[in-house]
Amino acid sequence: MEQSGFELDNVTFTYEDGAQALSNISLKARPGEFIVVLGANGAGKSTLCFLLSGVVPHIYGGKRSGKVQVSGRDPWDDPMYVTAQYCGVLLQDPEVQLFNPSVISELAFGPSNLKVDRETILERAEQAMELLHLKGLERRNPRDLSGGQKQRVALGAVLTMRPRLLVLDEPTSQLDPVGRWEVVDAIHQLKSAGEMTILMTTHETDDILDLADQVVVLDRGEIILSGSPAEVFSQPETLRAAGIKIPDALDILIQADQAAGQKTILSDEQIRTMGADSVGKSLAALIQQGRLEVLPQPTPARLSGRNDQPFALEAHEVTYQYPGYPPVTALQNINLAVRTGELVGIVGQNGSGKSTLVKCFVGLLRPTSGEIRVEGQDIQKVPVGEMARRVGMVLQNPDYQLFTISSKEEILFGLNNIGIPIEEAEKRVLEVLRWVDLEKEIETFPFRMSFGDRRKLAVAATVALDPKVLIFDEPTTAQDHRGRYQLAEIARRFRDEQGRTVLMITHDMDLIARYAERLVVMWNGKILLDGPTAQVFSEKEALERSFLHPPVAAEVARSLSRYGVPETVVTPEALLACLRGRVD
Amino acid sequence: MQIPFRYVDRNSIIHRLHPLVKTFYVVLTLLVILAPITNERFLVVPITWLVMSIILWILAKIEFSRFSTLIKLLLGTFAFLILVQGCTYRMGTTVIIELFELQYGETNIGALKLEGVLYGAMLCIRILTAASSLPLLVMTTSSADLVNAFRKLRVPKVATFMIVSALSFTTLIFEMWDNIMNAQKLRAFDIDRMNLFTRLRRAYVPIVTPLVLLLFRKANDFQIALETRAFGTPGDPTEVEQRPFTRTDVVMILIFLVVFAATQVVRYYISASLAATG
Repeated sequence: MEQSGFELDNVTFTYEDGAQALSNISLKARPGEFIVVLGANGAGKSTLCFLLSGVVPHIYGGKRSGKVQVSGRDPWDDPMYVTAQYCGVLLQDPEVQLFNPSVISELAFGPSNLKVDRETILERAEQAMELLHLKGLERRNPRDLSGGQKQRVALGAVLTMRPRLLVLDEPTSQLDPVGRWEVVDAIHQLKSAGEMTILMTTHETDDILDLADQVVVLDRGEIILSGSPAEVFSQPETLRAAGIKIPDALDILIQADQAAGQKTILSDEQIRTMGADSVGKSLAALIQQGRLEVLPQPTPARLSGRNDQPFALEAHEVTYQYPGYPPVTALQNINLAVRTGELVGIVGQNGSGKSTLVKCFVGLLRPTSGEIRVEGQDIQKVPVGEMARRVGMVLQNPDYQLFTISSKEEILFGLNNIGIPIEEAEKRVLEVLRWVDLEKEIETFPFRMSFGDRRKLAVAATVALDPKVLIFDEPTTAQDHRGRYQLAEIARRFRDEQGRTVLMITHDMDLIARYAERLVVMWNGKILLDGPTAQVFSEKEALERSFLHPPVAAEVARSLSRYGVPETVVTPEALLACLRGRVD
Repeated sequence: MQIPFRYVDRNSIIHRLHPLVKTFYVVLTLLVILAPITNERFLVVPITWLVMSIILWILAKIEFSRFSTLIKLLLGTFAFLILVQGCTYRMGTTVIIELFELQYGETNIGALKLEGVLYGAMLCIRILTAASSLPLLVMTTSSADLVNAFRKLRVPKVATFMIVSALSFTTLIFEMWDNIMNAQKLRAFDIDRMNLFTRLRRAYVPIVTPLVLLLFRKANDFQIALETRAFGTPGDPTEVEQRPFTRTDVVMILIFLVVFAATQVVRYYISASLAATG
């Protein structure tokens, strides 16, 4: 066994509560190798990270069989401070990993515990700040930094301990696009340095195509696929069945190739350089060769067509300032009107004002100036409890609201607050649980449910109040691919089946392209763009100003516009619907 | 909501003071307020110390509005103390207002008495003096400096980190409390509009239960983050951020000692004078 890799040989692990998290896992990493582990929520990715870093069994107990070796040692046998000398871990949530008052003390924390001498610690901290672009932030409190900066500080704090194995457990899942880009860029640099073995778990398959030497796919604790990125991503059906997102560029190429009657065969090099440009070129070649034709009818842009509907929500010249030293202006003279029955996406970086705006719509925040109207009524004096009947909002984290002993009680709580008689309330409980596909969980203790199911329960509890407008605040955060689309489907059904209005805040451009007919882009407390989704995504320069990128399908469509593909296409489905194979 | 006890980053003379000097000031404050006050004339001692604390706060350049939460808590406590002492003080004879008549021993606890109110006010001044010192230490000293100071005082590493983590968790608890309140308001559970009795009867379960469950979860993550960064290594960690004593530190220690000594001299003379007058 080489000194800086790791090896798991036929490892099975069962938690103390009897839940088997991993089953017969065999996996080997060579020194300097970059391994990516994919899997839906609950697939066993975090347990794998915990086994390598000694969190299991030292913090979470359980029963293990098989062999685990990290740098030639078994983390099971060593105290955690020994394992920490050769294995560093970066967790999902930057907030819980930062507990020192300045960036420099955060970076120094690990090596000072290991009694590294002061000069060496400062030298390492300097190097980490250089690598992670943290220079100038030395004295700042990590809690005051942006999400991406926080996660880079947390990564730096691990790097100063000089681990030989770096374990990254979904390091970008809670970040906005800029934060995600910053962290992925840092990981690229670590990979280029080649000094460490790196294992990273993620749902963001687009990020890892040019990083991974080896990809492992976990499904319910078992390895169902492993190999080079080309080997793994050439099996899209298996990946889809395991709830893994196929990168959109690859998905478009595979399906276009199928339409053209050919099987997609890609080398690892082609996978690494896969993007809208390369896929556009491949599809253009197929069109030029006559293997694909562009259908003559252009796909119409999805316009809302609801101009006859009354306004459900209106913001007139709304400004909001958070009190502080100095006060922070989160919204500046916002004007926005949403008609009944619209499904509107709101995108923008963290701090752009998205959440502040929707909190004004539900009455949690009162504008410093300007007016908010719901169904034409000024809500300035309407209490927030009363607002809950009109505008429902599902927060990012369902655990802020769940507190009762069963799903049924959870939904009854809200209904009781608005004075619904018990017979009627029980009827509604059944309806909404059926609606979110949780009727079997009616008596289940919410905290025993998966994160995805807890979010669905939170939606059900909100929908039960029968609001006219439903707002989803970042439903994609910390969710796997399947979970994201389940919530988006619920949003669409709420609009389609009940004719209600939906606002959805998200960082997932591919998802919002599929679901929203109208898109609002916020930047620095202002509305930068507002219009039909396809039109907004065509404003590439304006989007780039707010560090957003249009979906891959939109960029491919634009590159094929000279062949007649409409530039209004923004989803892979719409793009593929424009193309037809001509198999001889 | 303003979070009490959170470190406020400023470049003030108080921020630059060595943490041990500020710790010394906290210890002296405790000595001042723990000394018994048997007569209102002794109040000059804590009031003198309070005046010095106020000067230190002004020098620390921390905005008064940052204390809004703390002040609300203190005002509630003061109102409670004055009311309870006013009604139950055994030596109270001068009735200010009689709410109802209810004899308990020789005292009518249904009447508010001047002597009781004054005794309650004396307690309040002592509490205010105490409350003015500890926040000055934690709001002007970064936790890294606190850790170093405690280490120099030979406080065990685990105990030191428990104190610092508790301060860090205070911020987290306030943030979570706000988020949970908002989440429940969105379910038509408007705690702000409930009266005190309704709040006590039914309001806190939907707030406290998620808070406790979330804290357990956060504490687990926190432990993972700590342990994977070798916190459990036996022995003292390397001291990275060194902070030598300066001339200002020495001057401030002298000022604290002089004021403390002066209050003790005054105290002695008041005792002597009271003894002389019988």
